[in-house]
Amino acid sequence: MSKSPIDKIGEQLTRTLAGYSSRRGFIAKLGAVLAAAPLLPLLPVARAATATAPKTDFERNAQTKDDTKCTYWKYCAADGVMCSCCGGGSHTCPPGAEPSPVSWIGTCLNPDDNRSYIIAYRDCCGTPVCKAGKSCQCDGADRELPTYRAPLNNDIIWCFGNASATYHCSTAALVGLSGT
Amino acid sequence: MNQMLLRAGLLSLAACFRVIAAAPLPAEHLTVTAMPPVNAHRIYIVDEAFNNEIDARVHVFDGDTFRRLGQLDAGYYPTYNLSPDGKTSAIGTSYFARGGHGARTDVVEFADNQTLALTHEIILPPKRAHTLPTPFGLAYSADGRFVYVAYVTPAASFGVLDPAKATVLGEIDTAGCVLVIPSGPNRVSSICESGKLLTVTLDEKGNEASRAFSDAFFDPDADPVFVQGIPMSGGYAFVSFLGDVHEVDFTGAQPLLRKPWPLVTGADKGRWRPGGTQPGAISSPMHRLYVSMHQGGEGSHKNAGTEIWVFDTVSHQRIARWPMRAHKLSDVLALQVSQDEAPLLFAATNQADLAVFDALTGQLRHIEPKMGQTPWFMHNP
Repeated sequence: MSKSPIDKIGEQLTRTLAGYSSRRGFIAKLGAVLAAAPLLPLLPVARAATATAPKTDFERNAQTKDDTKCTYWKYCAADGVMCSCCGGGSHTCPPGAEPSPVSWIGTCLNPDDNRSYIIAYRDCCGTPVCKAGKSCQCDGADRELPTYRAPLNNDIIWCFGNASATYHCSTAALVGLSGT
Repeated sequence: MNQMLLRAGLLSLAACFRVIAAAPLPAEHLTVTAMPPVNAHRIYIVDEAFNNEIDARVHVFDGDTFRRLGQLDAGYYPTYNLSPDGKTSAIGTSYFARGGHGARTDVVEFADNQTLALTHEIILPPKRAHTLPTPFGLAYSADGRFVYVAYVTPAASFGVLDPAKATVLGEIDTAGCVLVIPSGPNRVSSICESGKLLTVTLDEKGNEASRAFSDAFFDPDADPVFVQGIPMSGGYAFVSFLGDVHEVDFTGAQPLLRKPWPLVTGADKGRWRPGGTQPGAISSPMHRLYVSMHQGGEGSHKNAGTEIWVFDTVSHQRIARWPMRAHKLSDVLALQVSQDEAPLLFAATNQADLAVFDALTGQLRHIEPKMGQTPWFMHNP
């Protein structure tokens, strides 16, 4: 039976998370939830965006229309060059680049429906960094954490398991609603 | 008129004789400039070269003469450190067989800091962590016998190397904890997702002899710490996103967690925050902590600082605020201070300029423009 894209992302996230964390850790629990997630799941994430929390600087300027700008709402925890300026899209790699099988995650507030969504950020790899304009050189870091919480960290080059580990650009795929 | 013409003619003739008589300029031969002796004001600047990521460098700069002394090739997302005696640079990096793609080779390359010539290398398994620079991607044991390298595949572990024999001794799993914080001749601590430290003690051969977890020294959910720990006497200080200083004493068999103290109090709490790629530096001899500070909220922890705040590490009192705009400097991403009694403070900006200050007075000594492309971390002896 073929898996849905969401199931595949959940599985990949689980593999990533399991690789990083102790079995007792919060990340392992999150991974277990993601593995069983149905379409548009409600996902519990520590330090998640909530509609009631004060808006971050990013959220005050976020927009849903132009994914070639760093203010695009899904880029709230994306640090790098966005693939939408490099021949790809917000969740597609440019031709010639290879999607990373693993991701880091963030939660971003959609300004249109005021809901928080889990976003899986995956790097596109195998060719050196895309030289895009400043509008796509983004430094979103909402609820981002250092490498000791690796699945929430955007400093790591997430080109694991690729034919080549060079970083080209980053994507942001919506996974589901955040449950907090 | 005739006399004037005669005089002019004689002068021209004399000038010709002088040109003919002077010795010709000597031929020049290309040689290599000798480095000045290592001193406390030399600094090693890790330039990630983000826009040309396979071409990172380490720039070597003299804070006294303001001269660029040379550079080291540093490959792809390097991890860098100095040997305990300061005589050797160790560069953990990755190269690809076809430049930007192809077979990956992870390696630690060693260079003589008196010549900047490579001396030898150790090939690693292709597991080296590719991430932003910290002091803990690659580190020496206190006696220089071991070198530790952080691995992320994404499972976390570290390699133990023997730099004298140029060999990899082994690999130690860290149960999800990351980075290599060295202490003593044979201990390595890693930061865990829970805020605890895992400390692995090695035996004579570099194998694991024992391991232990500390209590949590910070709360990763409430107020995470930057992983760019700041060297201080006997240990490291970890600054949190909201501006608490968590000092950890690594002199004993297990880390000793000191009571945290605040950089920011009152109405400024949560409004002014530390940030950048190397948020702080400590002068141990002068008991000064320098932190790059900005105004911002959640998600601003990577922001460069508009001001440098100076603290007394004994009294924990703030003793100065140095706004960068006063010097027409852009915001500061990385800070380092020399470890002598006439200390220099080095500040790398988000425009890749390097400012050199008198660390005691804040007086600007020099601005070196365009010190590479993305100078995100600095090391010094």
